[in-house]
Amino acid sequence: MTQVLLNALVVGTTYALIALGITIIFSIMKVVNFAHGQLYMIGGFVVYYFNVVFGLPFWFGLLMSFVIVGALGIAMELFLFRPVMLRVKREEVTMLLAMGTAVFLESLALIVFGEKQRGVPPIATGIVELFGARLPTGRVVVIVVAALLIVALMLFIGYTKTGRALRAMAQDRDATALQGVNLKWLSAMGFGLGTGLAGLAGGLLVAIFAVHTGAGTAVSIKAFLMIMIGGAGVLSGAILGGFVLGVLESVGYALLPGSMTFLIIFLIVIGFLIVRPHGIMGKPWG
Amino acid sequence: MKSSGIKVTLLVRALALATTAGTFALISLAQANETLKIGALGVMSGPFAGWGGVMCQTSKTRAAMWNDDGGVAIGDKTYNIEVVCVDDKGDPKGAQTGAEKLVSEGIKYIQGPNTDSTAESAKAVMEANGTINMPYAFSKSLYKAPASQSILGMVASYQVGPVIYKWLMDNKGIKKIAFVCENNADPLNQRNEGTAAAKTLGLEVVSDQETYESGTTDFFPVLTKVIGTSPDHIVLSGVNPSDVGPLIKAARELGFTGTMSTETGQDPRAIFEVAGEAANGFIVAGGASTEAIRSDFMVKFIERYTKDWGEWNDVAGLYVYGPEIIVQTLQSTPKALDDTEAFKAALDSFVGKNPFLKEGGELKYVGRQDYGQSRQVSVPIVVQAVKDGAYEPLFVGKLPD
Amino acid sequence: MNTQDTIPMSGFAMPQSAASPLKPLGLGLLVAIAYFIGVPLLFGGNGYVLNVTTTMAVVSFISFGVWLTFAIGRINLAQAGFALIGSYVTAILVSRFGVSFWLCLPLSGLVAAIIGGLIGWPVLRLKGVYFAMITLCITEACRLTALSFPAVTRGAQGIVDLPLPGELSLFGLTLIPAFEKGARLPFFYLAGSLLMLGLWFMWLLDTSRVGAVFRSLRQNEDLAVSLGINIAKYRVVAFMVSCFYAGVGGAFFAALQQNVYPTSFQVIDSVYFMVYCFVGGLEFVIGPLVGALVMMVSFELLHELQRYQTVIFSGLMILCILLMPNGILSVLKARAARAKEASDA
Repeated sequence: MTQVLLNALVVGTTYALIALGITIIFSIMKVVNFAHGQLYMIGGFVVYYFNVVFGLPFWFGLLMSFVIVGALGIAMELFLFRPVMLRVKREEVTMLLAMGTAVFLESLALIVFGEKQRGVPPIATGIVELFGARLPTGRVVVIVVAALLIVALMLFIGYTKTGRALRAMAQDRDATALQGVNLKWLSAMGFGLGTGLAGLAGGLLVAIFAVHTGAGTAVSIKAFLMIMIGGAGVLSGAILGGFVLGVLESVGYALLPGSMTFLIIFLIVIGFLIVRPHGIMGKPWG
Repeated sequence: MKSSGIKVTLLVRALALATTAGTFALISLAQANETLKIGALGVMSGPFAGWGGVMCQTSKTRAAMWNDDGGVAIGDKTYNIEVVCVDDKGDPKGAQTGAEKLVSEGIKYIQGPNTDSTAESAKAVMEANGTINMPYAFSKSLYKAPASQSILGMVASYQVGPVIYKWLMDNKGIKKIAFVCENNADPLNQRNEGTAAAKTLGLEVVSDQETYESGTTDFFPVLTKVIGTSPDHIVLSGVNPSDVGPLIKAARELGFTGTMSTETGQDPRAIFEVAGEAANGFIVAGGASTEAIRSDFMVKFIERYTKDWGEWNDVAGLYVYGPEIIVQTLQSTPKALDDTEAFKAALDSFVGKNPFLKEGGELKYVGRQDYGQSRQVSVPIVVQAVKDGAYEPLFVGKLPD
Repeated sequence: MNTQDTIPMSGFAMPQSAASPLKPLGLGLLVAIAYFIGVPLLFGGNGYVLNVTTTMAVVSFISFGVWLTFAIGRINLAQAGFALIGSYVTAILVSRFGVSFWLCLPLSGLVAAIIGGLIGWPVLRLKGVYFAMITLCITEACRLTALSFPAVTRGAQGIVDLPLPGELSLFGLTLIPAFEKGARLPFFYLAGSLLMLGLWFMWLLDTSRVGAVFRSLRQNEDLAVSLGINIAKYRVVAFMVSCFYAGVGGAFFAALQQNVYPTSFQVIDSVYFMVYCFVGGLEFVIGPLVGALVMMVSFELLHELQRYQTVIFSGLMILCILLMPNGILSVLKARAARAKEASDA
């Protein structure tokens, strides 16, 4: 059972990191980024290329995964989402745009990166034994880094000027604009931050898992589950949602026959949303 | 570097195209080669793009090699081979449309599709139009009568599974076996067949209900339970290439020390890259391109494939049997060019040469034991183990007639 | 905002039929003639074209349901799940109980609609992205259910080798002869009939009082409540109609492919059903048909690009949304309106 709980902790931490990026974009732009999983996948490949192909340190690759995927996100905001959002008011259009982008990125990645799965050399070797459960050192490093990143992000959003402006924009765009904040710059920046986090998550997790070009859609679906559980658009909700899904998955696999686990998780989530339509932490929204 | 590799590849291909065109123009002055079109229908985009994509690339490369040698002599004419690839997106609707597209172009021989649901949907078109296809799917109703148009292009998991388990019992003394697979149609079927075979052999099946969802990143949760039943051997049934490395790595990190295997073709370098030394000893039944057994011709093919597509994929060593046996059969029965009934009639008696193995050997159609008719390519059963990013063969077996 | 956008947005204020320069009846007739006479005359012997057209017709039929849920302001990604339900109902009844396909076809729609009603009643209270994501979960849950209960669905093995639709006769009079092996035209005509019936019913619904209520649900639910409209009831009705379309379409594909697998309809299908509605234009009943036609034909035409096919296809899709965020038809309509203004002046 210790192993199951430890599994839940690892899975939960990585999921929380995945959910944060999609939540930031949703809270400030009201866009559900269906391409989140694909950006995660690209982040993984960026690290692979810097680390394995170019032979540079893993941590440098990780930094680049944030920078490159973040830049990609800023470009997406400037050239795709902004022009469309200026012209149409229906929220469905941005969702569709994100879906189109997801297919586009995935098929482009297949051509550029090839069909094989990729991994990087282990960042740490050895195994920690904890109350009879096994935890590879690489995983310890990854969850510590993930936790640090989550804390750093919360501090950034909570206490810096830009972070406060982002929060204000999430609550009320117009009022924020009246305060003299440059909304254009801010929303591009927020979008870049959200996608950058997706890249960072992919880049970090490639150290213990692996990545291939088709990995995106499944990651996106899981990210949706998390933000539905936690409440869309609330950062604390995303973290909570990540952990809840991690626990459900780990405990479910331990107690149920495998094929039933996700069916039951889906049913729980559907039932839960009926009772609590805005997730655990979410606010009523459109 | 891959991207520059692609540019170079494109350049090379453009040059090759220009050269071919030039040569073609020259040849056509003397004697015009006719064109023989062969189809490749499979999933070439989305999460399972690896299956059909490699299949298409393999056939194109093999065709280019034939054409560079001046074409293929069938009957009293010489043909250039043209491969038409159609992406079915892994969607049964797409598979049917794609099959119709190939049929409408007058194509009689098609490689693919790659999954049960797409192959079953394409079957209706194949049967109705008398087109021959070569699926890489294990659903038995594709090959058993009344179906007659599909020929299994590889060794089915239910054929190779027992062979591997038997070998493991004799050589590694395994007694308890566990199965784990993705919660999806093809893998689940292969698991069920594997479990049945293991039971027949007298193995104790300690775990056969654990599955994971497509796209799982962390396999610790599911494997924790499997390893908790303390098996001697774990089978990864019908595993998607992208999950093999992570699964092996997770099993080893959880302290599993027994043996592991899968029955579908895999690329050893990709597994090794993800799982590292933990991948050593992983048993795979698959391609016939292992260094110890491959012929010089296979080496040439590998070189050409690498030049065309940037990187070798071991699964291509399996797919290349498809166009090879189709063309060889046509050479032996030229009438089959327009008449697939003649092709089917030749299946029982056809014996060709296997150019891919060092020791040569026969290339023929088998499957009478499993399907009641000869609807399977006699791909050798090569059981091999991963060793530092390459394969070392454990043993080579033959499919029963 | 330019005129291009304000015009379709005003759909609520004006009855659609009066505002639209595309005369509905004439247009319907044109579609019917093009489909039933044009295609067989031009491409009758070409199985490929017939298959693309057949698939396109039924895919747009299924998409009409998505369009209707859009009309009540919900983004429906469950359509593939309900199509899968329809496929399984037909497959199980035909293979296990030998029920006639012609009975299974409407029955599949009915079963899907009832299940849709039961799920829809609570779920439809959700809005926006929550509804979109929960319907996405429903599609996944349908696939997993099909896998998890092999006693009913045969699980991963799928139900294969379904017989072709038999003869439909009434009092000894043959209405529809049995489908023959390899004959493409029967399926082609059946698909066309479904398409025309589906389109006709959607148009009736859209121009009726119910249609106006549906649109008012999208524009402003609170206002609708204050007018004394039982919005929950209308929402469920719309959703059930949508599921009916999905179920019938799913049953059709089970017969066409002669098999059904848990993977026969997946999340990506739900996404494409939605895409077709958008590309055509959400303000137009015929939008899903135009969208499916344009998208599916362009995908086929891009085949020559080989491995760049999907990348270029999705690139074009993005471009389409960028340049025509309200769909192809809205651009045509705006152009027609401008031409009319010019001639009036």
